[in-house]
Amino acid sequence: MLSFEDAVGYNVNYVISEGGCFISQPIVQLQNVTKRIGKKTIINDLSLDLPVGEVFGFLGPNGAGKTTTIRMMVGLMSLTGGEIKIDGYSITKQYQKAIRNVGAIVENPEMYKYLSGYQNLIHFARMIPDISDERIEEVVKLVGLGSRIHDKVRTYSLGMRQRLGVAQAILHRPKLLILDEPTNGLDPAGIRELRDYLRQLAKDEGISIFVSSHLLAEMELMCDRVAIIQNGKLIDVRGIKQQGDDGAESRRFVFEVGNVVEAITVAAQLGQKAEADGQSAIAIEADRELVAKLNAAFVEAGVSVYGIRAQGKSLEDQFLEMTGGEQIV
Amino acid sequence: MMLGIMLLLVLCISVGTRLFSNYLPSMWSVFNWESVVSFLLITVFTTIVAAGSVADEFTAGTIKLLLIRPWSRSKILLSKYVAVILFALLQTVVLYLFLLAMNALLFGYDSSAASDTIAPLYKGTAAVYFIQYFFYEFISLIVTATMAFMISAVFRSGGLAIGLSLFLILVVNSFVGLFAILNYAWVDYLLFIHLNLVQYLNGTPLREGMTLGFSLAVLGVYYVVFVALTWFVFNKRDVAA
Ligand SMILES: Nc1ncnc2c1ncn2[C@@H]1O[C@H](COP(=O)(O)OP(=O)(O)OP(=O)(O)O)[C@@H](O)[C@H]1O
Ligand SMILES: [Mg+2]
Repeated sequence: MLSFEDAVGYNVNYVISEGGCFISQPIVQLQNVTKRIGKKTIINDLSLDLPVGEVFGFLGPNGAGKTTTIRMMVGLMSLTGGEIKIDGYSITKQYQKAIRNVGAIVENPEMYKYLSGYQNLIHFARMIPDISDERIEEVVKLVGLGSRIHDKVRTYSLGMRQRLGVAQAILHRPKLLILDEPTNGLDPAGIRELRDYLRQLAKDEGISIFVSSHLLAEMELMCDRVAIIQNGKLIDVRGIKQQGDDGAESRRFVFEVGNVVEAITVAAQLGQKAEADGQSAIAIEADRELVAKLNAAFVEAGVSVYGIRAQGKSLEDQFLEMTGGEQIV
Repeated sequence: MMLGIMLLLVLCISVGTRLFSNYLPSMWSVFNWESVVSFLLITVFTTIVAAGSVADEFTAGTIKLLLIRPWSRSKILLSKYVAVILFALLQTVVLYLFLLAMNALLFGYDSSAASDTIAPLYKGTAAVYFIQYFFYEFISLIVTATMAFMISAVFRSGGLAIGLSLFLILVVNSFVGLFAILNYAWVDYLLFIHLNLVQYLNGTPLREGMTLGFSLAVLGVYYVVFVALTWFVFNKRDVAA
C-alpha cells in the first residue's frame, strides 16, 4: 500500500476507511470472482485488490486462469459470481465508466494486418474522444517503433506487434494498464525496455499496471507485488523488494572455501552456525556486515575463500515450491 | 473493387450488345437483363461483406480491441451493420445511375412506357419502373445481408457465414419455384418465397393469392427476428477469441 505522501503526487480518489484515516481506493477490486464454463470452474472465488500506482504481477502456470481473469476484468467475459470494480466502477453495471480508465492487451496483440501500425492507432484513437495526432506520435516514440510505424502490420515481427499493442493500450492515458504476457516474443533488449518504461509509467504517471506472466524472473524485476494463482485459485500475494533496498536483512550466503570443516569451525568461533553445502562450500545465514567479518576471519585462519554469493531464494523457487511443481491440467 | 468489377461487366455487356447485335434494341431491354445479372452480383458481394464484417474481427482477434473501448457492444454492432447497409446502398445507387447513363449513351434515351419494352402490365415510364425495381431489390438485399450478418455474428466464422449465406441465396433460391408449387400452408411463410419482390411489378406472383403487402410483412418479421437474435447473441456471449 502506498503511503499518503506518495499517493498525493498522483491523481487518486480517496476514500475514508472505517477507521477514519485516508487510504487510496484500490484501482482494481476483485471480489469473490468466480467463472464457470459448463461444469468446469475456471476461476474459483478470487479476491484481490490492486493498489494505485503499482506494477502488479499475476503469476501462474499454463492454464491457471490468468487470461480468463483478464477477460473478465475488461468485460469480454461475464462473471458467474462476484464483482469486479475498476476505479470504483463496476465492470458489469457501469461498463463504459469502468473501461474508460483501462488500456489492455488480451492474450496476443492482434491488429488489422492490412493497415499500417499508424492507421491502426488512428482507428483506435477514433473510438475515444480527444486523442490528438501529437499524442499518437508521442506514443509511437515511447514504444520505439520509429519509422516502421508506417509499414503494414502484416510485415511486423511478433515483438513489433507487441510494441504496437502497448502503444494502442496507453493511447488514451488510462489509469490502469492490463497486459497479458507482454514480454512474449520480445528480445532481451525489448524485454528490458518494456520493463523500464512500464516502471517509468507507474512511477511518473501514476499508472497502475497489471501484468500476467509465467516468466518468474521477469516478474521479480518488474513488479512491486505479485499474486500467484493456480487452478483458478489465489495461492499467495506478496510484495517484492526492489533491488538496492536490501542488504541489511539477513540472507543465506554460500562461501566457496578450501577446507569445509575448518571453515565451519571458524564460523562457530564467531558464534555462527554454518553447514556444509556440497564438497567445497558452506552455507550460512548472514547480513552484509557479518559476511565481511566472516570473510576476514576465514582469511586470518588460513581458510582460502574462492567465492561468496548470496543465495536469495528466487521467486522461481518459491513459486515452484508453492505450486508444488504440479501437473498443469 | 467489387463495384468496379460489376461496372466493367455491365459495360462489356452493353458494348458487346451494341457492336454485335444486328438490330438496335431499346436501352431498357439491355438495362433489364443487366439489372438481373448485376443484382445477383450485388447480392453475392454484399453477402461476402456482411458475412465477414463481424466474423473477421473475431477471427483476427481485433474484436477484443474494439470491445474494450468505452462503447457499448450494441453501438459497435450497429456501426458494423450500418457499414454493411451503406455498402449495399452505394452499390445499388451507383449501379442504377451507371446503367442509366451508359445505356442511354449507347442506345439512345428511350422515354417510352415500360409496357412497350419490358413489363407489359406496368403503368408508367420505364425509368420509373426501374427505380421501383431497384427499390424492391434493395429491400430483398437488406434482408439477405441482415441474414448473413446474423450468421456472421452468431457463428463468428466468416467462412461459415459466407458459405451458408451463399448456399441459401443461390441454391435454395433456385428451388424456390419448386417450393412455390407445393400445396402446404407453411410454404407461404418461407423467407425465400418472398425475397423476389420484383414479381409483383409484373403482376404475376410466384404463388397464387400472395400480395406485396403480405410479402413485405413476412420479410419484416424475418428481419426483426434476425436483428433481435444478432443483437442478443452479440451482447451476451463471452468473447474468447
Ligand atoms: N472458452 C473456454 N471453455 C472452456 N474452458 C476454457 C475456456 N477458456 C479457457 N478455458 C480453460 O480455463 C483454464 C484457464 O485458461 P486461461 O487461458 O485463463 O489460462 P492462462 O492462465 O491464461 O494460461 P496461459 O499461461 O497458458 O496463457 C484452462 O484450463 C482452459 O482450458
Ligand atoms: Mg493466457
